[in-house]
Amino acid sequence: MKSMADNTLAFKKVSLGLVRTRLVTTRLVKAASFAVVACVLALAQSSPQIHLPQANLPEVHLDADGLTPRPIEELTGTTIARHYALAWRDLAMALESGQAGGLGEEFVGFAKDHLMKRITEQNQTGMHVRIVDHGHHLKAVFYSTDGSAMQLLDQAQLEVQTFDGNKLLDTQNVPHEYMVLMTPGADRWYVRDLEEVSAKPF
Amino acid sequence: MQRTAHHDFARCKRLAAFVLLCVLPAWARAAEVHVPAVVEAGQAFSIPVQGSGQATFYLVGPDHVVKRTVSLGSDLQIQSSDVRTAGRYQVILCDASSSCTSATFEVKAAQPAHLSFFLHPSRVPVSTRDSIDAAAFVFDQYFNLILTPAAVDFRITPASGAGFSREVSTRRGVAWMRMDSTPHEGRVQVTAALDNVEEARVIQQVAAEACGLRMKAVASGSMVTLETDPVRDCSGNALPDGTVVSFTKVDKAGKSTVDTPIKKGIARVQFGVDGRAQISVACGVVLGNEVVVNGKL
Repeated sequence: MKSMADNTLAFKKVSLGLVRTRLVTTRLVKAASFAVVACVLALAQSSPQIHLPQANLPEVHLDADGLTPRPIEELTGTTIARHYALAWRDLAMALESGQAGGLGEEFVGFAKDHLMKRITEQNQTGMHVRIVDHGHHLKAVFYSTDGSAMQLLDQAQLEVQTFDGNKLLDTQNVPHEYMVLMTPGADRWYVRDLEEVSAKPF
Repeated sequence: MQRTAHHDFARCKRLAAFVLLCVLPAWARAAEVHVPAVVEAGQAFSIPVQGSGQATFYLVGPDHVVKRTVSLGSDLQIQSSDVRTAGRYQVILCDASSSCTSATFEVKAAQPAHLSFFLHPSRVPVSTRDSIDAAAFVFDQYFNLILTPAAVDFRITPASGAGFSREVSTRRGVAWMRMDSTPHEGRVQVTAALDNVEEARVIQQVAAEACGLRMKAVASGSMVTLETDPVRDCSGNALPDGTVVSFTKVDKAGKSTVDTPIKKGIARVQFGVDGRAQISVACGVVLGNEVVVNGKL
């Protein structure tokens, strides 16, 4: 009878020990997980090599005063500015990541063909380009009467960094000016031609 | 005396340090690169590079990226296929010590080779002011938009009557003009031409609104048959068959309207009338004459 009581006591002690061990283990795992998450977040903030996808669009200001031969509707102006900003976000991401998949959302025609070719050749040579976009001043200069094409001039403030692998080759931080042709699609305005020209004020 | 000598020595040291600071970077920049400011699209050219040894050459353009090892001290050959797309190109030269120099140049469009021509609308009423718009985009053989001004000739050839032309200079690669439609219905061809490049579009001119719309009534018992004269616009062009003409009758039974299409140039309808009836005719926004039946016309 006594030995049975001893056995029960011993069993209780063992069970209590096991519970304590499990508690300690759980706390240790929790602490370790917290430390890992904290480290990853700290790395993401401090390391210049990690770039999270840009959620914010570059700033685009559209000026359509005196547009000929057709004036612009307010909604069209808003749509154009938004899709032009989306186009530059996609362009910057594609040139940096070497992935051209997202370009079809905002680019068509020559503009898309040129960018696709450039990204393919960038990947072949191991190069990539990082664009720090400080904003665009768009001036609409031609809007066809049937609404099928709009020509715009873009004065962009861009910092362009060229890399070979991880080695920074060059940084250009000068004003850029682009001649842009945009055409409407089913639900958006596409960039059809994007041609950099000599930068001069308009 | 000793103090002056010490002072001079210190000055010499500072001067030597300054000279070293000025000379060292220039000496370290072994690979100099000089590029032309502007190049025509598709034109091969060469870039002279100074220095000695091997270097890595990079060319980054709007649609083209080149990376190759080159020997310094000789000219770098840029092929015509490297500079077909207009825009800004970046040249980077990195020598064996990983010191890089860069330069940029601009590629401008070549001679006109393509016209992208829009003519709007596809159908237009005759003799309508500022109703036809033509816009032409001028491209070179590589489909770069040509931004330097060029004269585009718009040639208008109507189905009947004399043709005419209008010359418009491009502005940022686009030439556009607006014109009135001519007085006669039919096919009008508009051709945009620049040097040896031509692009033609066709527009269909149709009769404008009816003009001098008239009908006559023939009563027969309680029925009346209404028939218009041939329906024409103010230039004498017949309105096309299918154009709707509306006849409206007001009598004791109330108001009723019958829409009927023009067939073989005229519109015809038959009404039952109850006593005295007043009937009017309209085509689009144009009102015709009125008739009163069962009494006097």
